[in-house]
Amino acid sequence: MFLEIESLTMQFGGIYALKEVSLAVEQGEIHGLIGPNGSGKTTTFNVVSGYYKPTSGSIRFEGAGITGLPAHKITAAGFARTFQNLRLFSSMTVLDNVLVGMGHHAKTGLWREILNPAAVRREESRFVGDAIHLLELFGIAGLADHPATGLSYGEQRRVEIARALATKPKILLLDEPAAGLNEVESDELRGTLKSIRDSGVTILLIEHDMKLVMGVCDVITVLDYGRKIAEGPCESVSGDPVVIEAYLGKEDEP
Amino acid sequence: MDDRTVTDQATRKRFGAKTALLGAAGCVLLLFPLVAPNAYQVHIINTAGIYILISLGLNIAMGFAGQYNLAMGPLWGVGAYTAALLNTRLGIPLWLNLPASMVAAGLVGGIVGLPSMKVRSHYLAIVTIGLGEVINIVLVNAQGLTGGPDGISRIRMPTLFGFPLDSDKRYYYVILLAVVVGFLFARRILRHRVGRSFRAIRDDYQAAKAMGVNTAYYQILAFVVSAVYAGAAGALYAHLDTYISPDIFDFNSSLFILTMTLVGGMGSLVGSIVGALALPILQEYLRVIKNWQLVGYGVAIMVVVLFVPGGTMELVRRFRSSRLAGRLWARNPASGKVRVGETDVP
Ligand SMILES: Nc1ncnc2c1ncn2[C@@H]1O[C@H](COP(=O)(O)OP(=O)(O)OP(=O)(O)O)[C@@H](O)[C@H]1O
Ligand SMILES: [Mg+2]
Repeated sequence: MFLEIESLTMQFGGIYALKEVSLAVEQGEIHGLIGPNGSGKTTTFNVVSGYYKPTSGSIRFEGAGITGLPAHKITAAGFARTFQNLRLFSSMTVLDNVLVGMGHHAKTGLWREILNPAAVRREESRFVGDAIHLLELFGIAGLADHPATGLSYGEQRRVEIARALATKPKILLLDEPAAGLNEVESDELRGTLKSIRDSGVTILLIEHDMKLVMGVCDVITVLDYGRKIAEGPCESVSGDPVVIEAYLGKEDEP
Repeated sequence: MDDRTVTDQATRKRFGAKTALLGAAGCVLLLFPLVAPNAYQVHIINTAGIYILISLGLNIAMGFAGQYNLAMGPLWGVGAYTAALLNTRLGIPLWLNLPASMVAAGLVGGIVGLPSMKVRSHYLAIVTIGLGEVINIVLVNAQGLTGGPDGISRIRMPTLFGFPLDSDKRYYYVILLAVVVGFLFARRILRHRVGRSFRAIRDDYQAAKAMGVNTAYYQILAFVVSAVYAGAAGALYAHLDTYISPDIFDFNSSLFILTMTLVGGMGSLVGSIVGALALPILQEYLRVIKNWQLVGYGVAIMVVVLFVPGGTMELVRRFRSSRLAGRLWARNPASGKVRVGETDVP
């Protein structure tokens, strides 16, 4: 199994943000993670990506246990994520934002700067080339030298995904990437997600936009009050009465 | 003539102007001790040069990496005492004491940085002030080693191939070289991966982790690098003044360094040079207000933080993008854009 979350529990004080949630993600799929507000979706990401140590439970990735590793090691293992509330590096340019993501593949650090500046310069120009290429794929190469603040919401979302991809992840965790996007941008995002998947990156997607979720996901897991209440292909989940009651019913039908 | 040739010419012209300016500045810097009216003015500039080094260090940690190291004064003291002891006890010259002081201060700086694993921003500032005080108290109380409050005297000035660098005018060149190397080194490391990781941590610590930045490593590194600058400045100071005592390296000195860095411009290396030149010179000529100096620092810090967070360099940027400047130089309007919080790693 590619990513295997087993019986994950996350307790904050007296609140169970997650209670014995198990979840399996197969390589190459787009896996939706949905549920009403406060159901534990973002908490799942925070635990998986190393921000919180789970109260109990385990996470295995490509057969190796990664539970409780620090966040940068999880990134090194092949994870990348975006944040529900945009978290770009605000004083840096779009290009530099993406270059930060490239950094952990770098072989150069402080010592190389002193001992072998030529190697640093070579690596730097390779990184800049790769970063520009990535920005081109997202249609924002023209913004490379623009400060990350002052971009439109949609542009910032794209920068954040590009920045995450710069780490060359095996699996990408996206936390509500369509939030704040208009209809057109949301449609574009669907294409983007598919092409990311087709390039070999598995996606775990948190999203409230049901049209998008149903349009791209191969499998969907539904959380409610920190528990998993359903899992399966789109059709079966969207027809599940438990899910409709917990989520779709409340959200879609007044 | 098409657009490209115009820009090419403009670029070349600007490049030429830049080279000329650098050359002129180089001449002034090299000739300064020869044309300075008296040795005392060279002494002030030497002191300013030492402060430039410390301020560069603080700027790397605080302006670029967001790590509030307010133990810079005492860390400077660690460098100074290392050099002073090696020189007075073992007769080791500046050239060897300089790297030794950098290592010693760097190690202590790494320890001062450990609380950054737990606390952030102003809490970190307070903890580092406390750790700085601990260093200072050790300097005062370890009498057997440090000479206590009396300090260490008769540190010898260096010689170079038998040529004694025993006056301010001669020592000036040692400091000039150190400042140039220190500036270029800072610029180099901040340009690439290390600098980007620093700024990522400063801008958004959580997002930096997600991008694979080993935040713990870079936070400690920021402290170590800033302390290494302070250590170099300490060795240079000890061998210049030939007498040191703990009160030079107390919290007031940290505050002085903080003030010059803020006034010059956080996140700007050039700002450090401006601030570290301006404040010691001002201090020299404002001796009359001696007891009011601390008030002056406080007011300066407040004004900068509240009204011009980017310090003097922000004022320069604002001026360059203003209409007045546009008329004066007929600049390309796009190139003078003000970006708040922008860091100049040229
Ligand atoms: N750091 C924390 N401390 C305390 N409680 C937390 C913390 N993080 C999350 N929670 C709680 O855990 C529950 C799940 O929150 P989470 O953010 O995972 O929900 P979500 O499914 O992402 O919701 P949304 O759709 O609104 O983003 C909520 O009740 C929340 O208040
Ligand atoms: Mg959420």
